Amino acid sequence: MLTSMTKTDFQKPKTVEEAVTLLKEAGDDARPISGGATLVALMNARLVQPSRLVSLSAIDELTQCTYQSDGSVRIGAMRRHRQTAFESNLKAAHQVVSGAASQIANPPVRNMGTIGGSISFADPAADYPPSLVAANAEIEIAGPEGRRRIPAEEFFLGWYETALEPGEIVTAVILPPVSESSVGQYEKLCRIAGDFALASVAVTIDFNASNTVTSLRLAVGGCGGGPIRVEAAEQALIGTKLELDAVVDAAELVVAELDPIDDVRGSAEYRLKVVPRLLQRAFNNLVETREPAQ
Amino acid sequence: MSQPVTLTVNGKTSDVSCGATTTLLTVLRDTLALTGSKRGCNQGVCGACTVLVDGAPMRSCLTLAANIEGQNITTIEGLPEGGDLKPIQQAIIDSDAVQCGFCTSGMILTAHEFLQRNSNPSIDEIRTALSGNICRCSGYRKIVDAVALAASRGGA
Amino acid sequence: MDGIDMQGVGSSPHRLEIMEKVTGSAEYIADLSRPNMLHAAITQSTVAHAKILGYDISDAMAVPGVVCVLTGEDFPDGRMGAFIKDEHAIAKDKIRYFGEPVAVVAAETEAIAREAAKRVIVKYEELPAILSPEEGLAEGAAIIHEDLDSYIKVFPAISSGNMASYTELNEGDLEAGFAEADLVVEGTYDTAPQAHLAIEPCGALADIDKQGRVTLWSANQSVFRVQANVCESLMMPMGKLRCLTPRVGGGFGNKMEPHIQPLVVRMTQATKRPVKMILNREEDFECVRARHPFKVRCKTGVKKDGTITAREVEVLLDCGAFGDDSPGVLGYSLLMSLGPYRIPNSKASGKLVYTNKLRFGAFRGFGNPQVAFAGETQLDQIAEKLGMDPLDLRQKNLIQPGDVWFGGGQVASNGLQECVDKARAASDWDNRKSRTAPKGKRRGTGVALSAHISGLLGTGAIIRVFEDGSVALNTGAVDIGQGSDTVLSQMCAEALKIPLEKVSLASPDTDGSPYNWGTTASRVTYTTGRAVVGAAAEVEKQLKEHAAQMLECSEMDLELRPGGIVGVSGSDKEVSFHQISLRAHWAAGGPIVGHHTWVFNQPTIDPKRAVCSGIPFPQVGVFSFGCLIVDTLTDEASGKTEVAEAWSAVDVGKAINPSSVEGQIVGGFVQGMGFALTEEMVWDGPKLANPTLLDYKVPTTLDTPYNIHSIIVEAAEPDGPFGAKGAGEIGLVAVPAAIANAIADAIGGHVHSLPMKPEKVLNKMLEIEDAT
Repeated sequence: MLTSMTKTDFQKPKTVEEAVTLLKEAGDDARPISGGATLVALMNARLVQPSRLVSLSAIDELTQCTYQSDGSVRIGAMRRHRQTAFESNLKAAHQVVSGAASQIANPPVRNMGTIGGSISFADPAADYPPSLVAANAEIEIAGPEGRRRIPAEEFFLGWYETALEPGEIVTAVILPPVSESSVGQYEKLCRIAGDFALASVAVTIDFNASNTVTSLRLAVGGCGGGPIRVEAAEQALIGTKLELDAVVDAAELVVAELDPIDDVRGSAEYRLKVVPRLLQRAFNNLVETREPAQ
Repeated sequence: MSQPVTLTVNGKTSDVSCGATTTLLTVLRDTLALTGSKRGCNQGVCGACTVLVDGAPMRSCLTLAANIEGQNITTIEGLPEGGDLKPIQQAIIDSDAVQCGFCTSGMILTAHEFLQRNSNPSIDEIRTALSGNICRCSGYRKIVDAVALAASRGGA
Repeated sequence: MDGIDMQGVGSSPHRLEIMEKVTGSAEYIADLSRPNMLHAAITQSTVAHAKILGYDISDAMAVPGVVCVLTGEDFPDGRMGAFIKDEHAIAKDKIRYFGEPVAVVAAETEAIAREAAKRVIVKYEELPAILSPEEGLAEGAAIIHEDLDSYIKVFPAISSGNMASYTELNEGDLEAGFAEADLVVEGTYDTAPQAHLAIEPCGALADIDKQGRVTLWSANQSVFRVQANVCESLMMPMGKLRCLTPRVGGGFGNKMEPHIQPLVVRMTQATKRPVKMILNREEDFECVRARHPFKVRCKTGVKKDGTITAREVEVLLDCGAFGDDSPGVLGYSLLMSLGPYRIPNSKASGKLVYTNKLRFGAFRGFGNPQVAFAGETQLDQIAEKLGMDPLDLRQKNLIQPGDVWFGGGQVASNGLQECVDKARAASDWDNRKSRTAPKGKRRGTGVALSAHISGLLGTGAIIRVFEDGSVALNTGAVDIGQGSDTVLSQMCAEALKIPLEKVSLASPDTDGSPYNWGTTASRVTYTTGRAVVGAAAEVEKQLKEHAAQMLECSEMDLELRPGGIVGVSGSDKEVSFHQISLRAHWAAGGPIVGHHTWVFNQPTIDPKRAVCSGIPFPQVGVFSFGCLIVDTLTDEASGKTEVAEAWSAVDVGKAINPSSVEGQIVGGFVQGMGFALTEEMVWDGPKLANPTLLDYKVPTTLDTPYNIHSIIVEAAEPDGPFGAKGAGEIGLVAVPAAIANAIADAIGGHVHSLPMKPEKVLNKMLEIEDAT
């Protein structure tokens, strides 16, 4: 009732192509709706009043999560956070993504929210963006021109902005193949359970037989307009065994790239202080959880 | 722009006329006069509006009525079976787990679904399951105890 | 009836209204409706301080479905206020805070009303906004209430400029006290504004009859305060307004004084139709009330052996735009600022300053948690300097049975020692250092003691005996969820020795209920309970008069027997309430009605002992006590603190319903924990930056320890009903202080500012690391 004054029509297509056509027809004010956890909250607050809502709920393709023959995992855009949190296909470094999913909001909201909806909104304090960057994920997008795939890093443009063009929707998140020796960790600091991140750190690492880091990606959330990946820090850690000194040095490189603001969750100054500490803990946890297996 | 939406609530199917942006909570409360679901924040945070959609707990304030056509909705009014309280409702009574009662409907539905999935939960599992439902009165202790009590009695 | 559970005093029966609450059928204000009802919405101001030059309501009126738009021009010039009558029903002539209601729109649907409310145009001439007490006190500051001098004040207020009130209490010789001390510690402590966040937002529904008499239902903590406030602000005779209450979804102080009730009443008068308005969460945050931010300067002198010789406390309170309960909060915080200790030489003083912010008002604890945070933190700092155990230092200075309170007020019952002993034992305080922390965390244990009153003002009870011998109890006390309906009924049942099910409780109604000032000040069990006991005694007397005639004996020989029976002592001759009541209704004497009213009457201040000025309440209450010990874990990486376990021993006189008392202790603890660790209303310039549950965070189950142990201590209050005193607030008072002391134990330094969010704790940890 609260927004019934606005004239919005509601469509529930069966295919991605239909959905894209319906969005294109209605122009800029049309919105796709997946779980609704974010969009309906915005509509309730009268911050968004779409001319058309295109529900993605009836599109089967979007609800699947598949382990593909090349070892990659394709997570359909309509997969709920609860599904992703418990997804058995996500192993080794991919657990940076299930770990993030398990920390979004709370159980009922995880039951509603979807990965496609979440990343399309691109809240800089949300949990998926840094985890997907750390996982080196690709985002599959469908639009009037067909489908395209772009790296997660290029998808998040900052402050609720994404690479989605008008009429485009996210159809899937694709996680590349990972080796069994790889690990992933998502470390989140928030005021209260279920809050958006005050700051978060996502890392994926692979090691060789002698525990030397052979590849590493890290991204920070909540400290700027989008997930911040610091390649210099990654490079500095590759070839190390994550010794404390190396981690401390790398953390400094990370801090130099952060661009936090003061908000109700915390000050910029605090974020700069706490991120290196979270990073250290994330690496510590990773090393410790790995060691017994060696 | 109103359009008819067919909703199945507590086993009863009815056509309601509502806008595309009308939430399930608004339909339940204003059209179907099922006021047991409460509006505490309208942003999905407090949990007072939680209902079951196809058996899963959802925020009715974040659910568009038009988007759940054909799905089965259970509200607090529809929880008792044949007039008998569910075990979790009785456990809430026996544990004195209600103060003002405004969070109670959402709390009961969330706990009910959780107990169906986990019949022998630990205290920490209960705490996690209820973490999306805010209670400002009780400090949660008696509610957590009620869920454990219902589980110990073997019911949801 | 012997052997049957009467569910009287000391038992924990199911709440009277439990079935409706577990089935979703309990009706709160938002669930009510009336035929032909209009829905209303407010227009809120978009500036903090301004003169109103005029309105343009034409756009709003043009929205189809809009029935009426009212602005300040449509409201009478009445002013309401619990202590200072400084507040109109709606902004009139001036805007005093951002988000203040400036217009009300009534329409056929809520959506239309909200849409139209956005289209009301208010023309302002902006004035400089005063956003802190310091700015308000500065030379040349813009004046928020130009007519402060002429406002009616219900206490000897000392006010001028933007200072709404100044209060001071002095006892002993402060200078001599500090001179006597071997150690003087001084510090400043500040606390953040906290939102009550009852899960039910405020709302009201009014209807008008053909005689022009209005009936008003609303989310409230006192139908009588609603009636008084609406009638004062709308200049209505009180007989023209009847106030009722549905179930209330939590209060904590937020619903004690008015919110939108006057607006809804005025709208029903204007439209002659029922009008309902329910605030959304953001409006509830922005324009109801919140807990005062405090700045406290505290200075304490002690001898080497730990004996406290003197304390000086100075507080500065942000009043917000209107007085509301603030003068009371100021005065009460000063009264409680010594804590439950013997301190012979003391001065407490404070200023309450108007600002262009939301009004601050009553919130569980009423200023006490803020001063307890300062005082109890300072005691730990003293203990560290003296090398004493913090609990031993407190023990040395405990207020003792027979001692009077700061100012000279009588303390008739005092279970503090038992609270200390029991909490100390239960928490294994003396072995606390042996507890270890998980990797990456630092463990700390902290203690804080507290006292709080229950009491204040007028209360009554009426008990009627039905023809069948069961009784109707009517007190006018609103149960806001804490369980007073059940507790008062239990007391009635106990007093008359009848089963609980034989007591029916009337819902508060200004037409039919005896006056009850409100569900606030931890007062219902104690004050209303006394009225119930008094009314029951009156009923007993009348029952015995009848029974004496029926049994042909002396009233002196009669006794109440369990189950609604009056019998002759030492004999099996007896008559039932049923038989007596039939006689009273149909034959002789008239139906039995017992009533009792009283007003709390023990003086706050003994003028022979203390020199005071600006005291807001001459008669305050009886004292409850508490000892709280908490165990915390602080994360080394982030500074984030969680409470691992808590032991809260509280002296409640007598637990009428032990389970409800536990509910108050644990619920109060968690609300206090939010205040201590996370909750904080933040302003971005004049505008509240976090008026949503996404941005303002309260503890969830995962942030709350399961092990919060309630330890009930019962030091009977001689004039309390069955010895009872209040339990509503005492469990919250010490929480921030105890957590602060636990954090200090963990990290080696004290944070002087609430909330003790990760940033402040980490900064303190780093400061300590740098220093060592």
